[in-house]
Amino acid sequence: MSPEFSEQTKKAIAEIVARYPKKEAALLPVLHAAQREFGYISRATEKSVAGLLEISPAKVHEVVTFYTMYNRQPVGRYHVQICSNLSCSLLGAGSLIDHLSEKLGIQPGETTPDQKFTFSLVQCLGACEQAPCMMVNFEYFGNLDTPKIDEILDNLE
Amino acid sequence: MVKIYINDREIEVKEGTTVFHAALDAGIPIPHFCYHPAFAPEGTCRMCLVEVEGMPKLELACSLQIREGMKIFTQNERVREARRGVLEFLLAEHPLDCPICDQAGDCKLQDYYEEYGLFDSRFSEVKDKRGKKIRLGKYLLHDQERCVLCRRCVRFLREVTGTGEMGVFERGGHTKVDTYEEGQQVDNNYSGNLAQLCPVGAITDTDFRFQTRSWFLEAGESICPLCSRGCRITIQAHRGFARFKLPKRVYRIKAVDDPLVNGPWICDKGRYGYSYLDENRATRILKKGESSPDWQEAIDWLSASILRLKHRNRLERVSVVLSSRLSNEELFLAKKLFKDDLGVGRVFFADAPPEEGDDMLLTPDRVPNTRGARELGWEDVPVDMEALNRETDLLLMFGPDFENAHSLSDILGCFEQIETTVLLTPFDGSLSSQVDLLLPTTPVAEKAGSLTNIDGVLRNFQPALPALGHSRAEWSLLIDLGKALDLRFQYYSRLSSPEAVFQEMTGEIPFFEKNVE
Repeated sequence: MSPEFSEQTKKAIAEIVARYPKKEAALLPVLHAAQREFGYISRATEKSVAGLLEISPAKVHEVVTFYTMYNRQPVGRYHVQICSNLSCSLLGAGSLIDHLSEKLGIQPGETTPDQKFTFSLVQCLGACEQAPCMMVNFEYFGNLDTPKIDEILDNLE
Repeated sequence: MVKIYINDREIEVKEGTTVFHAALDAGIPIPHFCYHPAFAPEGTCRMCLVEVEGMPKLELACSLQIREGMKIFTQNERVREARRGVLEFLLAEHPLDCPICDQAGDCKLQDYYEEYGLFDSRFSEVKDKRGKKIRLGKYLLHDQERCVLCRRCVRFLREVTGTGEMGVFERGGHTKVDTYEEGQQVDNNYSGNLAQLCPVGAITDTDFRFQTRSWFLEAGESICPLCSRGCRITIQAHRGFARFKLPKRVYRIKAVDDPLVNGPWICDKGRYGYSYLDENRATRILKKGESSPDWQEAIDWLSASILRLKHRNRLERVSVVLSSRLSNEELFLAKKLFKDDLGVGRVFFADAPPEEGDDMLLTPDRVPNTRGARELGWEDVPVDMEALNRETDLLLMFGPDFENAHSLSDILGCFEQIETTVLLTPFDGSLSSQVDLLLPTTPVAEKAGSLTNIDGVLRNFQPALPALGHSRAEWSLLIDLGKALDLRFQYYSRLSSPEAVFQEMTGEIPFFEKNVE
């Protein structure tokens, strides 16, 4: 069964597609819209998007597997992405990663059994001025240390 | 025209062309994996890098358009070093299983390493394992480890067949070409083009797997006779070894680019259906079931049979069954001989029944020259069994298709009423032992001549293979028969080759005159 887009997402997709001279060109933003709705891009979603944009599912899969910001597995309600690149690592990201892993009880790339958290290591988040930093869903948190991480996570429902 | 310099040589080229084509036209091939003339330049393989004076970085020859005065260097040390670098990365993940790879000998990766590489590997890392021997289709195997990621296969399936089964997935060192669904099959009638497109051994033919090595094969150009498209092909055959008998001659067929006919592609029927060239062939003259190697005797016997009827004024009791497998020249000679000179009673056509075509190349006709027969003025008259039964003393049949159009018992029933039955065919069939005279002839692959395709495009062909056994081309038999009948000896003596016959045709039939190649 292919997933049904909500009316709201359908409207958003129609608006995105209208912006481009070719339907195919709307692929990246349409995938983002789909991910906003379902949390990840399944094979079924790939096929729906392919049908919508009149391209082959293989082409959609190429794009989904190339870009790391499309989730190919379901993620928890909170997607914690911590930077492991140079600036953050120099300022102690390594121990923060260990701390997060221990606190959430999962390894990077995994989701907690209650589906609350997914924990990912990412490359640069583009916020070296507040290194070490992480994102929880679309929100940035910088200048992190262990107590700050505990405070952020403990305040999440 | 624009003046450019390649390796300090002044060259005039057409405006708008690319460096790649300008160099190729000047006889300077540029190494490449991803570029293929059937597709827009892709620029992914980085093998075609060249140096252009005034440009800081090396440029892609496949996509760079030439400009007036451009100075291009295709072989200097900087360019060679870049190519060596590209090869080093490609080979970092390559299995180097050339000794068991069917592409060995035809492989661009092998050739370029020979020309630009020749380095010792600096990689101490273990190579990634990827999919091998993946069944990709009825005729195809896929080896992901040998792939150089040129995307030719992906582009073919998107741009030519529009089926889009494959893609390039993941990124960086993990990038691989794969089908979208696991185990998905490419099952269209053009799948074999993937194996021909693949510049390395990543997609190979199953029928060719471990059969022979490509360097033993000799390629001869011909025309595919399996439908009326008449695609240009090369037939790759093994000459055999002195002490070791091979089971067959033909090991594979590949497409040859002909823009007006087939472009760079052929269908799977034409590519993989070559067994007819070696199997069930009629190779010996059989007179009343007795084998005889003497062509002159056979032709004299046939002409004597015809002349006997002529002297009894019974030429209207001669029936001829022609075939649209015959070349233009042969159908023309048949017209001269049977219609104009002898005035035989009846001429029929027996062809393989039409089958479903497709919207690319394959046509419903399963014989190559239906259009040529029409242009020569032949009508497609199906065999009238009643006429054979009652009004025929001598029956001359061309081609293998008559016996499939009627039941064998009906045909043998007719044969009982006919004094003399003669069959000229390249293939052994159920009639071979039933006729009074069997003359083995050659398929298109073993003779010279021309065919007219469904769109009226005329193409010449030369023998790609030697004639098998005692078989001979129909055009030469018709000329010999014409001479033996002694009706117009001078005329038939003059027509000593398909070219001479074609000359004669162009003078007589305007269609062939305007179509001279």
